Amino acid sequence: MTSLRQTADQLIPELAPRQRQLLMAGGVGLAVSLVGLFFNPAQFLQSYLMAYMFVLGIALGCLALGMVHQLSGGAWGVVIRRPIGAAARTLPLLTLLFLPIALGMRHLYVWTDASLVAHDEVLQHKHVYLNVPFFLIRAAIYFAVWNALSYFLNAWSLEQDETGDPRIARRMQRLSAGGLLAYGLTITFASFDWLMSLEPHWFSTIYGVLILGGQGLSALAFLIAVLVWLSRRPPLDDIIAPEHFHDLGNLMLAFVMLWAYFAFSQYLIIWSGNLPEEIAWYLHRLQTGWRFVGLSLVLFHFVAPFCLLLSRAVKRQAQMIVKVALAVLIVRLIDLFWLIAPEFHTAGVWVSWLDVVLPLSLTAIWLGYFVWQLRGRAILPMHDPQFDEALGRILERAGERP
Amino acid sequence: MTPADQDSNRADVGSGTPPVIAPGHTFGSVTDKISAIVLTRKTPIGWWFGFLIAFALMNVMMVAITYLFVKGTGIWGINIPVGWGFAIVNFVWWIGIGHAGTLISAILLLLKQTWRTSINRFAEAMTLFAVACAGIFPIIHTGRPWLAYWLFPYPNTMGVWPQFRSPLVWDVFAVSTYATVSLLFWYVGLIPDLATLRDRSQSPIGRVVYGMLAMGWRGSARHWHRYETAYLLLAGLATPLVVSVHTVVSFDFAVAIVPGWHTTIFPPYFVAGAIYSGFAMVLTLAIPIRAIYGLEDFITLRHLENMAKVMLVTGLIVAYGYTIEAFIAWYGGNKYEGFMMWNRMTGPYAPVYWLLICCNIVIPQALWSRRVRTNTKALFVIAIIVNIGMWLERFIIVVTSLHRDFLPSSWGMYNPTIWDWATFVGTIGLFLTLLFLFLRFLPMISIAEMRAILPEAKVDEDLRVI
Repeated sequence: MTSLRQTADQLIPELAPRQRQLLMAGGVGLAVSLVGLFFNPAQFLQSYLMAYMFVLGIALGCLALGMVHQLSGGAWGVVIRRPIGAAARTLPLLTLLFLPIALGMRHLYVWTDASLVAHDEVLQHKHVYLNVPFFLIRAAIYFAVWNALSYFLNAWSLEQDETGDPRIARRMQRLSAGGLLAYGLTITFASFDWLMSLEPHWFSTIYGVLILGGQGLSALAFLIAVLVWLSRRPPLDDIIAPEHFHDLGNLMLAFVMLWAYFAFSQYLIIWSGNLPEEIAWYLHRLQTGWRFVGLSLVLFHFVAPFCLLLSRAVKRQAQMIVKVALAVLIVRLIDLFWLIAPEFHTAGVWVSWLDVVLPLSLTAIWLGYFVWQLRGRAILPMHDPQFDEALGRILERAGERP
Repeated sequence: MTPADQDSNRADVGSGTPPVIAPGHTFGSVTDKISAIVLTRKTPIGWWFGFLIAFALMNVMMVAITYLFVKGTGIWGINIPVGWGFAIVNFVWWIGIGHAGTLISAILLLLKQTWRTSINRFAEAMTLFAVACAGIFPIIHTGRPWLAYWLFPYPNTMGVWPQFRSPLVWDVFAVSTYATVSLLFWYVGLIPDLATLRDRSQSPIGRVVYGMLAMGWRGSARHWHRYETAYLLLAGLATPLVVSVHTVVSFDFAVAIVPGWHTTIFPPYFVAGAIYSGFAMVLTLAIPIRAIYGLEDFITLRHLENMAKVMLVTGLIVAYGYTIEAFIAWYGGNKYEGFMMWNRMTGPYAPVYWLLICCNIVIPQALWSRRVRTNTKALFVIAIIVNIGMWLERFIIVVTSLHRDFLPSSWGMYNPTIWDWATFVGTIGLFLTLLFLFLRFLPMISIAEMRAILPEAKVDEDLRVI
């Protein structure tokens, strides 16, 4: 037990070189893509928005899952609490990474074009909401809320590690209840601002929930991948049991179904209503080559992971579930591609080299930062109220406990 | 089962959470206490009193429906432009109430929440009775209920085939599947308890009836193994139904293009609303029942508090739905949508709208306080307020979206008649009649499952099958 009190850095020496490699690879990738910024800034920003929403989705999804775990309890969250915390602590970096979007707004959002708005009655109506200063003020509010939640939850978690005071758990619960409410509202409006307003005439009330569900799925897939990586080396190799993957796999299955449910509901309702202001969004997706991207989402964002995750064997074997989790992360990116790219390439599927390089480099940088955050703390939350419930017996069996 | 939740029914040490079963009970005392309500205790005078009132109300429904069959739907307040009145409001309300049972039984079972054990039986029963009440409305609303079977796709010489693009047809399948699976789930869960009643019954009729219903249950290890497998499979089957039924009900509205109905958030927000009202109804019933029958040992404050938390969460999701709907009605820039929302908030039905906001959003915020969540009287009042609020919500959705449509010349008001009210109140009578009969003749708490959560029943977790 004493050994587990050390920081992850001391227990897993491999983390430091990995962090360096990731940051270096990400830095090189970003430097290369700056060429794209020079020659085609619009395409750079489109790819950047997609890459950014992808990593932001993982970090925010982790923050939200962490808060859910504070409230619901349960063994599933104990083993992933540290990766969750580390991912949430990347939010300052993500705040910084939002700057290119704020600076390049006019390349992304047509409603920033005053001459266009002047001739469009609907956009004039929306101008009260969709205007540059208010957009930036809102973004500032979202980041303030997310950073504050992450800061306090992580600070208290550290205090809990050091003192083991049971009152801290209560305090974290209280913040998480309000925090989830705040997360739900901020991510909804952030998704309206940053993604839905790419097509400013279009609207869908389920959109925020759809993005929220996607973030939960991204976060779970990411956490499963991290947990599998950790479970392959000491000290967690004899602590992480198939049950842990089983629980997380079930949760991932639930989120796969939830996402499909939201996405299908939106499609069915808009398709059957067939109203001009709503159906346009689907028309330039489903009547061009983009329909194949949509079809791939049906198959690989729902059907394939759904069928695989029904199997108990897949969920309990680390090498199987990690493949599903990584595949889910890839289709999460394709989903964001489907939400963003058709707005700019209405004629048909268009994949720029930046659509590949930017997500890779941004993810690498983010991962490097994540590993850095993971290194600083113990790898298991010893004073989590559910710690004994989740791991007590396993630790006893492994002889980790006096 | 993971080692994690082996002890989730014990009182959380230090946090002051009440246990899911009061200390000091044994296998025998649990069985005695629950089965005595059915078998040996004298039927309380209050039961007769309540049953007769409920039965009288049910007869009001009988009269109302008989008159409806004689005269037709013209006796109701529906007309153009409001063609969907009380019948649909009540249908959605009852179906929503019918969600808590399956959620408690299936989803909480799969989530390994053992606190569900003492409330699942009557929540499931309540679900069945609520679905029975709900099913009446669309059928009598068709105008010619004797032809309702035309909704089923069967080969016939008339060349009639259901319109499969209509969500009203999906409703037929969704609701009937839900009713069937809920009934099976409830009945399968009852079998071991029916056998207990068969063995303990003193009267020959009781022994025969309970004996037939118990289907030869002897409690052998093989029986239990098959029972638990079947129960788990049914739970898996019932889980998607919790979501699907109210989703299809929301499609009844959302696939149309009527402003106020056509909005993409409807499916998840209807499901959350259904669970919200379902838990409100479970609390409305559980609080008096535990007091009258002295079941505080089994339905503890822990149960009530957990249900209050579920209500708080689902209530907040519903509030989110209202907020986003109102925001997008403005943001979308469609003048009909905008007018619909403005009309809801300031038009002739504005008092109903604000009352609904008060009942569903403002007052339930009291549940943030632990003191309110553990105060049975306050909880009872809030649960009733939420029941009312959810009924008002459906009224607002159905009526205000229709009564002022695209052409101001065809605007109108909806005035429910005495027959609308009689049918509605009558179904409450039907619901309560069935509930009283259930309380009298069947064990309202699962004896077998309660025994399983006693400390006596602890087994080595590694040997457990499920």
